[in-house]
Amino acid sequence: MAEEYVVQMKKIEKVYSNGVAANQGVDFNLKLGEIHALMGENGAGKSTLMKMLFGMEQPTSGEIVINGEPTVLSSPSVAISKGIGMVHQHFMLVPSLSVAENMVLGMAPRKGIFIDKAKAIEITKENAEKYNLHVDPEMRVADIPVGMKQKVEILKALIRGAKILILDEPTAVLTAQETEELFRELTHLKQQGYTIVFISHKLNEIKEITDRITIMRNGRSMGVYETKDVTKEEISRLMVGRDVVLNVQKDEAKPGETILSVRDLEYLNEWNKKMLDKVSFDVRKGEILGIAGVEGNGQKELVDMLFGFARPMAGTATVEGKPIIAKGQQEIRELGVSLIPEDRMLYGIAGNATIEENFISDRCNAKNLNKGPLFDMKAIHNLSEKLVEDYKVLCKSPEQQVGMLSGGNIQKVVVAREFSNNPKLILANQPTRGIDVGATEFIRKKLVELSRSGIAVLLVSADLAEVMELSDSLIVMHNGKIVAYFDDTKKLSDEEMGEYMLGLKEMSPEEIRRVCHD
Amino acid sequence: MTKKREMIFSIVRAALAILISLVVAMLLIFISADGSSVGEKFKMTGEALKQLLIGPLFRVNANGVSFEGKRLADILSAMIPTIFTGLSVCVMFSANQFNLGSEGGIMLGAFVSAVVAIYYPMPAGLHAVMAVVIGGAVVALVMLVPAILKVKLDVSEMVCSLMLNYVIMYIIKYLMNNYYADKTKGQIQTYPFLNSSRIASIVNNPVINSAKLTWGFVIALIAVIITGLFMYRSRWGYQIRMIGINKDFSKYSGMKVGFIIVISQVIGGFLAGAGGGIEVLGRYNTFSWSSLPGYGWTGITIAILAGNNPYYVPLAAFFMAYLQKGCDMMATYANVPMQLISIVQAVIFLFFAAEQFLSKYKQSLVVKTAQEEIAAKAALSKEGGAANG
Amino acid sequence: MANLIANMLTPEFFFSIFRISAPIIYATLGAIVVEKAGFANIGLEGLMMFSALFGSLISYYTQNWFWGFIFALFVGVVMSLVMGFFAFKLKTDIILVGIAINMMGSGGTLFLCKVITGITEGNTLASTTGLVTSKLMIPSINIPIISSIPFIGRVISGHSLLTYLAFIFCYLTYLMLYKTSLGLNIRAVGENPGAASSVGVSVLKIKYIAIAFSGLMSGFGGAFMSMSYAQGWSLDMVAGRGFIALAAQAMGGGECFGGMLSSILFGFAQALGIKFSSIGVDSNLASPIPYAITIISLTIFGIVNKRKAYKK
Repeated sequence: MAEEYVVQMKKIEKVYSNGVAANQGVDFNLKLGEIHALMGENGAGKSTLMKMLFGMEQPTSGEIVINGEPTVLSSPSVAISKGIGMVHQHFMLVPSLSVAENMVLGMAPRKGIFIDKAKAIEITKENAEKYNLHVDPEMRVADIPVGMKQKVEILKALIRGAKILILDEPTAVLTAQETEELFRELTHLKQQGYTIVFISHKLNEIKEITDRITIMRNGRSMGVYETKDVTKEEISRLMVGRDVVLNVQKDEAKPGETILSVRDLEYLNEWNKKMLDKVSFDVRKGEILGIAGVEGNGQKELVDMLFGFARPMAGTATVEGKPIIAKGQQEIRELGVSLIPEDRMLYGIAGNATIEENFISDRCNAKNLNKGPLFDMKAIHNLSEKLVEDYKVLCKSPEQQVGMLSGGNIQKVVVAREFSNNPKLILANQPTRGIDVGATEFIRKKLVELSRSGIAVLLVSADLAEVMELSDSLIVMHNGKIVAYFDDTKKLSDEEMGEYMLGLKEMSPEEIRRVCHD
Repeated sequence: MTKKREMIFSIVRAALAILISLVVAMLLIFISADGSSVGEKFKMTGEALKQLLIGPLFRVNANGVSFEGKRLADILSAMIPTIFTGLSVCVMFSANQFNLGSEGGIMLGAFVSAVVAIYYPMPAGLHAVMAVVIGGAVVALVMLVPAILKVKLDVSEMVCSLMLNYVIMYIIKYLMNNYYADKTKGQIQTYPFLNSSRIASIVNNPVINSAKLTWGFVIALIAVIITGLFMYRSRWGYQIRMIGINKDFSKYSGMKVGFIIVISQVIGGFLAGAGGGIEVLGRYNTFSWSSLPGYGWTGITIAILAGNNPYYVPLAAFFMAYLQKGCDMMATYANVPMQLISIVQAVIFLFFAAEQFLSKYKQSLVVKTAQEEIAAKAALSKEGGAANG
Repeated sequence: MANLIANMLTPEFFFSIFRISAPIIYATLGAIVVEKAGFANIGLEGLMMFSALFGSLISYYTQNWFWGFIFALFVGVVMSLVMGFFAFKLKTDIILVGIAINMMGSGGTLFLCKVITGITEGNTLASTTGLVTSKLMIPSINIPIISSIPFIGRVISGHSLLTYLAFIFCYLTYLMLYKTSLGLNIRAVGENPGAASSVGVSVLKIKYIAIAFSGLMSGFGGAFMSMSYAQGWSLDMVAGRGFIALAAQAMGGGECFGGMLSSILFGFAQALGIKFSSIGVDSNLASPIPYAITIISLTIFGIVNKRKAYKK
């Protein structure tokens, strides 16, 4: 009967105002006192679903029933009052405040007009004891390890009366020991009757701790399973897979000499977590090398290193033999490197400037665009008209503001600029994320076209279909390491990919070493 | 949005901002108007408003309204320094850097130019040019201080430039008192400028109430065009604007962000300094400023009204000079203190700078445009479909 | 030089440091609290001008310093809330709002002064100096026992009520920021608005409270200027103290105690300037000292910060 469920989300649809359908007819339910895994690749719609359960987003249609009662969760405070708590991936903590102060923020105990600090500490200690989540109430949050921060977040939710806890990728930032500790604590909470939603990509963890699994793919639910009844391979198959086959037309790659050569890159992030672990690979003229992997496994950091946005702890990277590590963007561009940035609104464009102005940002000093002290406006107009035409940017004129265009057209502007500056190497980071089908297809075709004309392309994408079918050869990253290399993507199956991406399998160092063509 | 709609929006917004400030002005005038009864007060308010609105160009009296050439010449003259500070602020604010040093900059430029004009004889013509250029160059150098401190040490350019204004003012006063003052005069002023350094007049008609306008006005307009070309047609100006819009994007594109920020403030400093030189060499015979002139602040208002676009600066400067003249007229003929200008100016400024002011109206225009685009696209694809079929 | 040092080591000199520091301390406390809430109020200068004018005027019209003082606070708070409206509601860049308030604070106060009092001496010169008498000034306080201690008594005792209050407010502001739930919320909003709103703290409300606090402090500072530091209001009498406060906030590391020390440093620089002129040095050479010190100390502060960041 319905009573056994504490939460039922029925036929949930969510269409964002930009037209993206993030959830399509998703059913999701929670049983009292279970740990329920919510799995899916990035963009599968898990976060959207959970945001709706926590009142941060409203479903376009569908119903949410909590403890048998249909409920409208209009804001997080309503969700909190219904006993739902969420621990975000990016902690909602104030670094300079103490643990106890963070704990009681917004509901501080008072003595007269002052905060009763002793009471706040006592509350924190009491609850830490009760829930077996050990934190140091008097430490500043800025000074505590990330594992403890997470406990503070969980405690914050519990103190506010949460009976249902949503944990968004809680282990992504934790070390192995911290993860183990977290699992003990979660089991303890479960025994006390709390219900937990556990979002993760890590199969071992899911198998270890959860009771049931809901798997999502492309905005839809792929079903609910008892954890003990499904194998890791089955989960991997349900979660990772192409929903469409793209059938990209491309000739056989004829790789030439090495353009980009990366050796033993290592990088620790600000929490001392190893994000890149001895990463080595080569990209050759005329080939597309894809990097597949669940997001957050070091891809972003790798691209940052290669374009001068961060410095690695160790290792080298060269373009045609010239080092690019710790160089400025201008120097890197002068070596013939182009980048399609992951965040196009932040890095890719100046939204309040015109399309034309966005086209010339990387070449405003070029001789052919300047005449004496001034721009050669005719040359610039010619350039921008040609780019608008070649890249089919839908606009009234190149004088239009870029920020007013649709996402797909904005991306075409970025791509037009990055592809048209005679690059030797293109770093394409999520080149088609969140844009319409037409623009996606167009950009993919261009990438293939350019690689066949002799440009080296490094393609980083969370879109499996894209990375598998566009790439000539492919590496898979997991936990900051390259775990597989395929010199021919055609022979590759989704199942095999899934097992590497989720860390079920790993190639031998010799096999991986083949990606270095020296 | 289409260009036309954007234009309409800008105009409606500007008009409304001005209207609101006039209503505020009216209320203040009403409160300050002489008169024992409400009716009398209304009459006085009306009189004052007439002076404010048409007084800057026309003589209003019992015989009717008559055009006054001198008043126009006064307004145009008053635009000279504020065009320069307006341009200076445009360049510096375009990089999203709030350097407020044009106020001290114009005073320093005026002082340095004056010194060159008095003590370093040169052939006529060249003398004025050199005086103005040296004035500008010195201020450009001084602006290196806030610019480099900002770029290298992340020291707030705003606080730093504000402090510099005071330092500049006191040092000039010190130098005037001790080294440059003409001790034979009661007021603290320099010796007269050499004739070779004077900026000639275009109009200097003693018949029409000594209406006077110097070539400085023309130079200011030329500066507008050069600055406009610089900002919109040169690679440095382009980079300044891009950095102002999106710094991360500019860095990613390979621009030398720090260097360009320094350049923007150096050029801003030069414009303010040169403006100071042109102002004193054109308008006065000696240098006698004893406090910050306020042109820098007016320049900020002008830049905001002009949306940081140099080409709109003369328009905004005219508007401000007109208002100023109107307030002067009110003070003379209607007994309303002329400092009303500060309040009117600040109110217009606030509404111009308010992003959300009329945001609903803007949103409706954006939606309308989007709908039209969708409709147009649909029509287009229908056609395309028919053609394919 | 010896002459100068002898001149400096007088109780009057140290007394003047405290007196000069007081208004800067108020403005600095205002700057500190808004900075904790995550933004900057560069309109302190203008707010102080308005408070100074109205404090002086109302004390004249009511013939009672207390009402003038209260009204000065009131004006500071109301004007700061208007700033908040433009900044938070109409999304005007807070820096531009500050500039606008400063513009009004300069000419606008003179306009209001002329309109309200009807004084029109000359075109620019109008002040309330002629209106107020010493009994309309904020009273000074002699501290019984301390005042009889030689030297120290003459340094510490006999200050205006508001001078003492300035130092008391350093402590009170500290208590507010670090010991009350309001302070907790202010700091949370400034550092991580998401964290604050996720536990039901209204970010907007906290920002209004913070800017109103800065208005209140400007009220104290303004009242001090026209009702204690000088006898009556005159044009541009705040003379950049609102701006110096921004520097004192930064130099004091954004904390109350540090801000107080920085304010006193500026007070010292200014007192020194006054001393310079008293021994015959042109006051115009001494007057820029506090401003120059601000730039120099911000530079040092910047270098130290950069070193720290580099070490990390």
